[in-house]
Amino acid sequence: MRVFMSLLKLNLNLNFGISDLKYRFTKEKKKRWEPVLVVLGVIIGFVPLIVFYSIFLNGVFSVGLTLNQPELVLVIAFLSGQLVVFVFGIFYIMSTFYFSKDLNALIPLPLKPYQVLGSKMVVVMVNEYITLLPILLPSVIIFGTRTGQGFLYWIKALLLILASPVIPLVLDALLVLVLMRFINLRRSKDLLSVVVGLLGMFIGLGINFIVRRIPKGNEQEFLRNILTSQSGMIKLISQRFPPSLWATLGLSRQGLEGAGYLALFIVVSILLFLVLIWLGNKIFYKGVLSGQEIVRKKKAFSTEEANRKYGKFSTPVLAILRREWMLLLRTPVYFLNGLVGVIIGPFILVFMFFTGNQSSELDQLISVLQNESLSVYVTLGGLGLALFTAGMNVAASTAVSREGKTFWIAKMIPVPPKQQVMGKYINGFSVSEIGVLLTAILLAAFLKISIVKTLVIIILGTLGAMLLSVLNLLIDVLHPKLVWNNPTEAMKQNMNGLLGMLISMLVLFILAGITILMLIKGLSEWLIYIVLGAVMCIASIISFKGLFAVAERQYMKIEV
Amino acid sequence: MINIKGVSKSYNKSGIKAVDNLNFHVRPGEIFGFLGPNGAGKTTTIKMIVGLLNPDEGSITIKGFDNQKQPIEAKRNIGYVPDNPEVYDRITGIEYLNFLGDVYQVPPDIRKERIRYFLEMFDLTDAASDLIKSYSHGMKQKIIITGALLHDPALWVLDEPMVGLDPKSSHLLKELMRKHCEKGNTVFFSTHILEVAEKLCDRIGIIHKGKLIAIGTMEELRKGDNIESLENIFLELTEQ
Repeated sequence: MRVFMSLLKLNLNLNFGISDLKYRFTKEKKKRWEPVLVVLGVIIGFVPLIVFYSIFLNGVFSVGLTLNQPELVLVIAFLSGQLVVFVFGIFYIMSTFYFSKDLNALIPLPLKPYQVLGSKMVVVMVNEYITLLPILLPSVIIFGTRTGQGFLYWIKALLLILASPVIPLVLDALLVLVLMRFINLRRSKDLLSVVVGLLGMFIGLGINFIVRRIPKGNEQEFLRNILTSQSGMIKLISQRFPPSLWATLGLSRQGLEGAGYLALFIVVSILLFLVLIWLGNKIFYKGVLSGQEIVRKKKAFSTEEANRKYGKFSTPVLAILRREWMLLLRTPVYFLNGLVGVIIGPFILVFMFFTGNQSSELDQLISVLQNESLSVYVTLGGLGLALFTAGMNVAASTAVSREGKTFWIAKMIPVPPKQQVMGKYINGFSVSEIGVLLTAILLAAFLKISIVKTLVIIILGTLGAMLLSVLNLLIDVLHPKLVWNNPTEAMKQNMNGLLGMLISMLVLFILAGITILMLIKGLSEWLIYIVLGAVMCIASIISFKGLFAVAERQYMKIEV
Repeated sequence: MINIKGVSKSYNKSGIKAVDNLNFHVRPGEIFGFLGPNGAGKTTTIKMIVGLLNPDEGSITIKGFDNQKQPIEAKRNIGYVPDNPEVYDRITGIEYLNFLGDVYQVPPDIRKERIRYFLEMFDLTDAASDLIKSYSHGMKQKIIITGALLHDPALWVLDEPMVGLDPKSSHLLKELMRKHCEKGNTVFFSTHILEVAEKLCDRIGIIHKGKLIAIGTMEELRKGDNIESLENIFLELTEQ
């Protein structure tokens, strides 16, 4: 047990970066603000979401009362909470159990497989509380306060919340353990990450779509319809997954009945956990070790092929550009966040703007927007959206950071920093340009914008994307994050990405301000486009000069 | 070939000098072995020579080019192999070599010939079309060595090059180093394997606590005492 606890302590420490935080707050004081900022960002991002969700649950409770089923709110929360844990848990468990780097250090230690597995399982569970708490807590509080529950209710609630991730996660883990014993998924790890990433994006889109379907002002009515007409569905799902029902009944029923369901829930959780530990001890290491071999094509070149491959020749800038593209396309995190983002982004934008309304209203809107006198606003609005997509792209704002430990190569090669950032710039700009083109084409198709105006959006969008890409790259050249162990840290956990978006938004605000000023002054439509184009060109040229000067200095200054 | 004048470097503004007022030069046509205990300043010195670190004081010239003032010219003349092989892991070996061929502007014919020569020599031909991610430590080391020598630089700078190499590759590398110097070029490398240094090097420098404490041929280091091994000299010198 002592061994297990010390392993668990280490794993929790690594998971939450406790030593790293301590170091930051005591030694490396300059970086103290980073975690604070992250926490602040999370709070700002999530509080409105939780408030919205709580209002929704409160509605569910009221509807449940009229149906004489006040515990409906608890069923929904436990069911959706456990479902979320179950769905995302599969991938989470797969990556912590089989893909994490620390396995190579842990396997040679004199530890039992169940100790390693158990400690990893507990870490996953603790992490899932962060997901579960916002889902469960509001409904538990709403039910508890609105039905005036006593002290015992809150104790039971605490136990249930603590135990709630166990069953779905153990089911995931059993599934994964058996799967990995027989199928070698490590080989297709990259594919797996892309699939998971895409799945996440589509689930996000789906939720967005559903939420937008709720008619404004009639939420109660809508809920009642769903719950009465489809209560069969909820029942069906909870029958398939009875633990959620046990949790609900354990919490809502009084006396012995409640205690019985509570006990059932907890005993089943513990039993399942023990089964996992038992099975894990038998097959966990086998699955891990069978995936360790590295696949190789082991195919020699033919002479002809060799001649072709060995003798390519291009300029340094093109060579760097090609390298940037290869790494962007082949690293799942870069591919998803750098490229898939700008491709899906425009679709999301169009969805957000045009799916909230009823279709008749939409037709009306489109016909109104076709009015010639409004065309300048439509074009400028379209340009705004196109530049928004371009500005949200992090390919440029993480371009230097992504080099990480290989930055020594950038310092070694006899290619002036100016040319190196040029290669990176073309890469980042072309990614943004995909976003601009897609947005323009989608909008043109959706709002029936004329070809000329679509071209205006594309040309001005391209000029804007050029400017935004320089500024984004400049941020990363100024302060690249070169120390990381996992590509995710270089792209998603990189402040420069966020900073780049902020700068892009700032530029958009300034451009919007200039445009509004020109509209107020009554400038002609084409003059407005020309002025905007000129402003973006001049700003790009100035920024380019800045970028080159900074690159020359920074590449020299950065030591590796 | 390498001229180091009054070079000092300290980390983290702590004032403790990792390298303290280094002065020496390495001549064309010689293999120079750079020795020292752990943390003596070997890697720091090497990184300053190749331009990965900037000295706080002093200057370093490579083939007459100051590596701070004319970095590109200096870099063209250097082939560097770092002590830990960190390369882009999601490109293939051949893509990596072609990338370096492009940035060093090695003409296609010469590039083709050299790539084939090194890949065959290091037994990497079959693995060249695999992602570097799938390579072993030694294979990564060998692909980096190949990349560093592709443009046939006048100066090779190798940081612990034998670590991770199998006996055959290690032997081949030593032969390459010898041949390279016979053509009037220079090899500068650090190592902990004193036997290698003793047999291979024309001259040896020993660094200790950031200071160069000895430099010269084996005979000069022995100071006439013919039986003393490099190991004994090294241990005596670095005892304080």
